[in-house]
Amino acid sequence: MYVAVDGYPCVRLLNLSGEIGCANPGLNKVVAPIIKLKDVKDLVQPHTILVTADEMEGFFSRVSNDLSFASQIGGVLVESGSSFQQKFKGLSPDKMFPQAQFSPYENVEYKWNPAASSIMWKAYNFPVYLLSESGILAVQQILSKKEMKHKTYTSNVAEFNMVMETTKAGTHNSEACLQEGTCLPLGGYSVWSSLPPINVSSSNNRKPVVLTVASMDSASFFRDKSFGADSPISGMVALLGAVDALSRVDGFSNLKKQLIFLVLTGETWGYLGSRRFIHELDLHSEAVAGLSDTPIETVLEIGSVGKGLSGGMNTFFAHKTRVSSITNMTLDALKIAQDSLASKNIKILSADTTNPGIPPSSLMAFMKKNPQTSAVVLEDFDAKFVNKFYHSHLDDLSNINSSSVVAAASVVARTLYILANDSKDTSNSALGSIHVNASFVEELLACLLSCEPGLSCNLVKDYISPTNTCPGNYAGVILGEPSSKPYLGYVSDVSRFLWNLLADKTSVQKRNTASVCSKGACSKSDEVCIKAESNKEGTCVVSTTRYVPAYSTRLKYDDGAWTILPQNTSDSMGMVDPVWTESNWNTIRVHVYTVQHSVYDNAVLVAGITVTTLAYIGILVAKSFITKILKQD
Amino acid sequence: MTVAAGIGYALVALGPSLSLFVSVISRKPFLILTVLSSTLLWLVSLIILSGLWRPFLPLKANVWWPYALLVLSSVCFQEGLRFLFWKVYKRLEDVLDSFADRISRPRLFLTDKLQIALAGGLGHGVAHAVFFCLSLLTPAFGPATFYVDRCSKVPFFLVSAIIALAFVTIHTFSMVIAFEGYAKGNKVDQGIVPVIHLAAGMLTLVNFASEGCVIGVPLLYLVASVTLLHCGKMVWQRLKESRNQSDPSR
Repeated sequence: MYVAVDGYPCVRLLNLSGEIGCANPGLNKVVAPIIKLKDVKDLVQPHTILVTADEMEGFFSRVSNDLSFASQIGGVLVESGSSFQQKFKGLSPDKMFPQAQFSPYENVEYKWNPAASSIMWKAYNFPVYLLSESGILAVQQILSKKEMKHKTYTSNVAEFNMVMETTKAGTHNSEACLQEGTCLPLGGYSVWSSLPPINVSSSNNRKPVVLTVASMDSASFFRDKSFGADSPISGMVALLGAVDALSRVDGFSNLKKQLIFLVLTGETWGYLGSRRFIHELDLHSEAVAGLSDTPIETVLEIGSVGKGLSGGMNTFFAHKTRVSSITNMTLDALKIAQDSLASKNIKILSADTTNPGIPPSSLMAFMKKNPQTSAVVLEDFDAKFVNKFYHSHLDDLSNINSSSVVAAASVVARTLYILANDSKDTSNSALGSIHVNASFVEELLACLLSCEPGLSCNLVKDYISPTNTCPGNYAGVILGEPSSKPYLGYVSDVSRFLWNLLADKTSVQKRNTASVCSKGACSKSDEVCIKAESNKEGTCVVSTTRYVPAYSTRLKYDDGAWTILPQNTSDSMGMVDPVWTESNWNTIRVHVYTVQHSVYDNAVLVAGITVTTLAYIGILVAKSFITKILKQD
Repeated sequence: MTVAAGIGYALVALGPSLSLFVSVISRKPFLILTVLSSTLLWLVSLIILSGLWRPFLPLKANVWWPYALLVLSSVCFQEGLRFLFWKVYKRLEDVLDSFADRISRPRLFLTDKLQIALAGGLGHGVAHAVFFCLSLLTPAFGPATFYVDRCSKVPFFLVSAIIALAFVTIHTFSMVIAFEGYAKGNKVDQGIVPVIHLAAGMLTLVNFASEGCVIGVPLLYLVASVTLLHCGKMVWQRLKESRNQSDPSR
C-alpha cells in the first residue's frame, strides 16, 4: 500500500551566506500527485514532477527563472541510469570553473567545465530525490497500474519526508546553525603515508619530500550518489596502484628523497583536506609528526586520469604550477617513465601554455599558501574537462576506462621512483622492474565505484568491516572532536580502508617481528595496528601512516560545539572559504501510494451511513410487523 | 484515504449489525451475553482452525484447491460447533423453562427464542466481519488506498467491506434457520444452513480469478438474499403456527 522508494536524496547544505540543496519547505511531509515533466501544463496544485536525467538541467534552470512554475512543484523524482550517459552530451551540476574563488590566478571566468549547469549550487525549496533502479521500478509500477485502469477518482502521490533540522530551527546559514547545533561542518579524515616509514624520534637524515596527492571525495546533486569515478577516484586508484607497485621494490631507504602519499578528503567543499593538511604542517601538530620539519620539494598530484584512452593511446597532460627547475625535473621524470613504458602506448604531454594556470585541483591550496610551490598535476584533459559528467551522479564506473587508470598508475610509479632516486641515470632494469598490478587496480575500481560488490569486496573486507556496501564518496560531516587519532566509528569506510591499505603497502617487512596487536594498539611507537577490524586481532607493522582531520580552517571545535573563527588576513583561503555545513536530519524517506479523491471518500462515508440507516429502518419495520401479527392473537 | 472513508467502510460492513444491536439486542442483557458468547465461540473456532492449518501454510497464491479444502474444513468445523452451541442453548432453555414453571411464570415466548437465535447469529457474523474486514481496515484510515490486481476496479477495502456485509447477513440469519431446524427436527432447515455456509465460502474463491469479484460478489449477495428470504419465510410460518396454537378458539 505504501511503497517505500529507494534512492538518493539531495540534502540541505549551508554556508556563511546562505543555503544550497533541497529540503521540504516546512516541517511536514510533502504529499503531491506524480506527473511526468512532459505532461506538465498549467498545474493548479503542487505536483511531484518525474524528471529524467536528460531533462534535469533544463528543469532546474526553469525552476530558477520561473517563480510561478517553481511554486507549483511539490517535489521532484529524478529517473536516471547508465543508459543516459550515452544519450546526451553531458551533465555537470557544478560550475564552469569549480571553486574559482580559490584560484591562484585572476582569470576565474575560464571554462574548465564546459558541461556545467551550476544547478547544485542553488537552493530549492522542495525535496528532490534520485531514484535507484528498484525505485524506478516501484514508481513505474504504480503509474502503469493507474494508466491501465483509467481510474478517474484516484491519483498516485509521492510522500517526501525530508525535513531538515535547519528548517525547524530557522537557521539559514552556517554560523547560525552551528550555534544552534542544527548542522555539522563538512569534512572527514585524510590519510597520509610515507615510503619508507619515517623515524619520528630522530630528526637526522631527513630527506627532501616528494609529495604525491590525490583526492577521495566527490560531490553531486545527490548526497549519496557521488561516485566521482573520473574526478577524482580514478586519480586516487592510480595512486594506490603506484604505491602497490612501489611496495614491491626494494631499497627505498637508500634513495635520496622521501616519498609521501597523501589522499585528501573534503576537497570538493573548499579544499578542506589540503588546507587543513598545510595548516597542520604549520602547527607542527601530531597528525603530521615527522613531516613538518622537512621541506616539501615537489608535489605531484594525480587528478582525473580515467578518461585518458583515446584511439588506443592513453594520453595524459601534465599541468605545472610554474616554470622551475624542479617542475622541469618532474616533467623529465614523467617523460622518462613514459619512454620506459613504450609498449603500453602512453603519452605524457605538457598542458597548453595558453591555459590560465593549473586546473581546479588540490594544488590550488598549495599554490595559495606558497606561490613558489613546484608542483605538477596529471590530468586526462588539457584545456577543458573531458569528463562530461564532472560532479554528477553519472560519473560512475562506466564513465572511465580501467586501462587508462592502470597506465596513469604505471607512469606515476616509475616517475616517483625516478624522482626519489634523484638521478636521470636510473637504470632501466630497476625502472623496468616496477609494474602496476592491473587486476589490483581493477579490483579497487570495482570496490570503490560500484555497489556490487562495492565495499563488501574481499580486498576491502580484508582490511576493514565496512558499514555500507555502496561507497558514497561524498565527503560527509565531521563527527566528534577532530583528532589525529580519531574514534574509528567516526571515520568513513574509505578513509579507514585507505589508512589500512597504505599502512600495509608502505610497511617495512621485519621478519620474525610481525606481531598481533593487543586491543588495537602496538607496543612500539613506530608501529601501527592494521586489519584490526576484519580480524579478531590485527597485525602490528612498521609504518608511518596517519589520519589528518579535514575541516575548514575557519572552524574550531570547543567543548562539543563548533564555532566560526573570525577572518584572518594571513589565511587567504580562509577569507574566501564558504564554510560548508550539512543540515542535520532525522530520517529521509520517500513513499509512493494511491489516494482516492475526497469526493470518493465522502461517498463511501455516505454509503456506510445509508446502509446503516436503511438497515435500521428495515429492522424497525420488521419488528412492528411481527408485533402486529402477534397482537392479532 | 481518510478517516471519513475508513468509517464509511466500517459502516458498510458493520452498520446493519450495529442497527440490529441497537434496536433489538441492546434492550435485553441476556441477548448481549448471547452475542458475546457467540462471538467468542466463533473466534475460538478460528483459533483452533488456524492451529490445524498452521503446518500447511503458507498456501500457494496461484493454486486454488488448497483454499477450497481450507474453506471446506472450516465450514464443517464451524457447523459442528453450531450444533454444539445449539445443544448448550437447548439445555439452558430447558433449565429456564423448568425454572419458570417452578415460580409460575410463563415459559420463553417464540419471539424470545428467535431473538436468542438472532443474537447467536449476530455474534458469529460480527466476529467474521471484525476478523476479515475490520482488522484489515486499520491502514484504510491512513491517506493511501489499495487495489488488488485481481479486482482492479474497486478498492480492496470496499470489496472486503461488501463481502463482510454479506457474511454478517448470512451468519446472522443462518443461525435463526438452524435453531428452528434443530428445534423442529426439520431436516431441510438443518441441511440448508451448512450448504449456504459452504456455498458462500466457496464463492469467495471466485475472487481468485482475474476480475472474479465482478461475478463472485453478486453471487454472494444472491446467497445472502436467499438466506434472508428463507429465514423470513420460515419466521412468518412459525409466527402463524404459533398464533394458531395460542388461539384454541380457531
